[in-house]
Amino acid sequence: MRDVAIVGVGSTQFGRAQWSLLKMMCEASHEAIQDASLGDRKIDAVFVANMGSARNNRMAGLASALVDRMNLYPAAAETIENGPASGASAFKMGFLGVASGFYDVVLVCGGERMREVNNLEATEFVSFLSHRYAEYVYGVTLPGLAALFARMYMERYGVTNEHLAMVAIKNHANGLLNRKAHIRDSITMEGILTGPDAINNNPWVSEPLRFYDCCPVSDGSSALILAPANLAKELCRKPVRVAGIGQGTDTHAVHERPDPTELTAVRIASQKAFHMAGLTPQDIGVAELHDAFTILEIAESEEAGFFPKGEGHKALERGETQINGRLPINPSGGLKARGHPVGNTGVSQLVELSLQLRGDAGKYQVPSRPKHGFTVNFGGFGNNVIATVLSEGV
Amino acid sequence: MARNIEAAKCVQCGKLHYPTHFYCPSCKGTKFQGVAIEGEGTLVTWTRSHVLPLDYSTMYITLGIVQMDMGVKVMGQLDVGTPQTGMRLRSRIGKVREIQGSDIKGLVFTAI
Ligand SMILES: [Zn+2]
Repeated sequence: MRDVAIVGVGSTQFGRAQWSLLKMMCEASHEAIQDASLGDRKIDAVFVANMGSARNNRMAGLASALVDRMNLYPAAAETIENGPASGASAFKMGFLGVASGFYDVVLVCGGERMREVNNLEATEFVSFLSHRYAEYVYGVTLPGLAALFARMYMERYGVTNEHLAMVAIKNHANGLLNRKAHIRDSITMEGILTGPDAINNNPWVSEPLRFYDCCPVSDGSSALILAPANLAKELCRKPVRVAGIGQGTDTHAVHERPDPTELTAVRIASQKAFHMAGLTPQDIGVAELHDAFTILEIAESEEAGFFPKGEGHKALERGETQINGRLPINPSGGLKARGHPVGNTGVSQLVELSLQLRGDAGKYQVPSRPKHGFTVNFGGFGNNVIATVLSEGV
Repeated sequence: MARNIEAAKCVQCGKLHYPTHFYCPSCKGTKFQGVAIEGEGTLVTWTRSHVLPLDYSTMYITLGIVQMDMGVKVMGQLDVGTPQTGMRLRSRIGKVREIQGSDIKGLVFTAI
């Protein structure tokens, strides 16, 4: 296998789209292509990540449509649907294409336009991820599964609603610095949990999770260009190397797991990614984790190996995961504030991590200038997870 | 009497699984016997969901994961005022959802 690098990145504003799904994807791809200074070099293949276009936007065959709209013929084109892990899946396929020598220059683009339908329809569409007859028929949503998980976790490890709120407050504060983030308002413990208006500001979604424990429903597109490492220096001033990728799967029904508080697929994916990179969690200086729900940031930070099981919330309390802490988590605002265009999220995490490793993250740049970064893209409720390690330079 | 919700008992190794799999997760066997999920169990975790799928007209539903005494864990709806982790529950079959006009039956739990 050849070494592979990210040589260009791009992203739209997240939130409510001002453009059609396809136009958003063109804008993100264009930004990545410009960033890579490809010149006359052709894109060999396009991998598109999306989860719901056929249902929410009445569009199918997105990758072919993107090739057409951007005049990238005769590039190979595939659309990849892997639930909320679609983004990292498309990235992995692009990586394999370049690493194997089958392709030289690959465009990976994630795009999702969820706000074309209303919030309840969007929640319903995401709940199709649950097990059809053992979960879905009972009316469980993804927030519902996260709530069942959160209560077990809180009761076992002493995590409180205050800890969950601390994740939200941190990620909102980070999102305030990211001009492309969906949610850009700062929140306080008093406003969302301890004050007299907290229950109005922050109502229950699925107990013990409240409104601010859940990510928003977002539109957004992100894109990146992959190339072999030996070409990367030519194309890019600051290439970022794909050091490791790992993936793991787990039971579809959450209740079937021997211990449902364990996110086994996160652990396996992370171990594989670190093994491939020849690095350990101690080498990582910045992480973008899949905080679709606040509890997940805490649980993933432990399963990935950054903190012992049951102690992620203590590291959070000590401020270690703040932007200037020992291991900044979600400096971009995470899914919580940057937003969660579901099929795009994995691509957007890798774009954010690339910016951090290049030193191009602007106001939310991690001050320690990390050399290695890590992401978790979490599919379903943890039944399909991809972890990635990126490193500065080639 | 409503139709049972069934776990799958592997004919080859005897292990009970829910939900069913094409291959037995314990021995890769492919033949199973249906075993009704019924009786008593212990509440592992629960949630009261206030944001519901479109086809519910109630304010909230209460959901739980229950460790059944018969050996499998299941998800079910709780017909319980104040749930508490660890409480003992008894199962019955009841309406849990309506999808496109037809009633869906599933596991509903009440306190013992
Ligand atoms: Zn068996």
